[in-house]
Amino acid sequence: MRIVNPGFGLTPAGAEQATEGKVDWLNDPIVLFGNSKPNARELLEGVKAKLAGIRRTDNIDFVAKNSASQGAPLEMINDAAKKYRIALLALGD
Amino acid sequence: MSDSADTEILDIADLDQEAWQDYAIEQGWSDGLPLVMPTEASVARMVAAAHGDNEGFAAISPRQVVPTMASLAANAVMAGAKAAYFPTILAGLRGILDPSYNLHGSMATTHSCAPMVMVNGPLRQALDINCSSNCFGQGWRANASIGRAIQLILLNVGGGKPGVMDRSTQGSPAKYAFCFGENEEESPWLPFHVRRGFAPEDTVVTVMSGEAPHNINDHGSTSAEGLMTTFAHTIAQPGANTVYGKGPYMVVVGPEHAATFHRDGWGVDKLRDELWLRARIPLKHISEENLATYAATGHHATGDFLTICRGPEDIHISMAGGPGKHSAFIPSFGGTAVVSTRVKLPPAGIGA
Repeated sequence: MRIVNPGFGLTPAGAEQATEGKVDWLNDPIVLFGNSKPNARELLEGVKAKLAGIRRTDNIDFVAKNSASQGAPLEMINDAAKKYRIALLALGD
Repeated sequence: MSDSADTEILDIADLDQEAWQDYAIEQGWSDGLPLVMPTEASVARMVAAAHGDNEGFAAISPRQVVPTMASLAANAVMAGAKAAYFPTILAGLRGILDPSYNLHGSMATTHSCAPMVMVNGPLRQALDINCSSNCFGQGWRANASIGRAIQLILLNVGGGKPGVMDRSTQGSPAKYAFCFGENEEESPWLPFHVRRGFAPEDTVVTVMSGEAPHNINDHGSTSAEGLMTTFAHTIAQPGANTVYGKGPYMVVVGPEHAATFHRDGWGVDKLRDELWLRARIPLKHISEENLATYAATGHHATGDFLTICRGPEDIHISMAGGPGKHSAFIPSFGGTAVVSTRVKLPPAGIGA
């Protein structure tokens, strides 16, 4: 028997992943991106402390979007993309 | 989500009713209740009812795939909807996909929000959408299956699987189905959609990412002033999501309360303005820890209170229900909007 798949969907145009360039995990700048909830900051501080044991940390910065319920503004994402090679995200609650 | 999501038509073994239910649950397609099988013929009937609606759809979060009319119709069939309901389901979905609704945030949140669906206009009666007694409850196929179809679309196309991408801490009964009509016939006020600029003859679906209705019981007050005291203090809850993530809310006034407000000369604008001024949370009702957290994220008190919305324009008033001294308050997720979309009907009428 034949049925219509209720989960069927198409990948939207322009959804290709960016794959340009290699990442240097020991030296490239990192943004620690939080969702503005208190525990996100705690998680990211823990990540930074762990990273300090294996790499430089003078180019690791914190950024938080201003609303946990809203997506980050495009300008904020674009700025982060220009300045950093690596983004680590935390969704604390 | 099924591994076979990239195939629109599935050729499966012949299944009896019980085996079909087991199969559908294994695929992750069910909300826990039995589903109607989306055969090609039943889906085609559903799609035919929507031939007045030819616009494409945006990708549905959180899975971010673009649905086809057939995959949407399959969910409507599974929900038990009649084909004639499908244009209304699609209008509700279009509202949910409006960027201001913030579907991704409302799906991924730990809050208990679900799509509230309110229908205005002539199709309410043609489809037998309950607007009167028990309008938020059980007993009407249109209310139940329109709301359920939208939820199934978000589950199956959108990928909002509970505990995976739907991260709600406790969920809500409203996540099964939350659809009702405004009781325009008994309302003393202009219909909600007309106040939003639509024509009275338009059928309009309004959506908001909201909690299940909170009851407002007031049997004693016989004046608008008395009712407002109860309404304002019921609405001003320190546990509301919108204490810090400001956003809209909906007040669904019951017909007896509406008649009292109207008799005392209170229109919708007056109700909204008074709620804005009075439905405020005294700081003494909010813990020091919460106040510190709110302040740290930029949500400062402006006096000795916090509001639960940004201004009177965030307060939406409608009228529904039957006899009785009850009204309802529907808080929103916060980072969302109340979106109204006109139902696009086939030229010949309301569809199959």
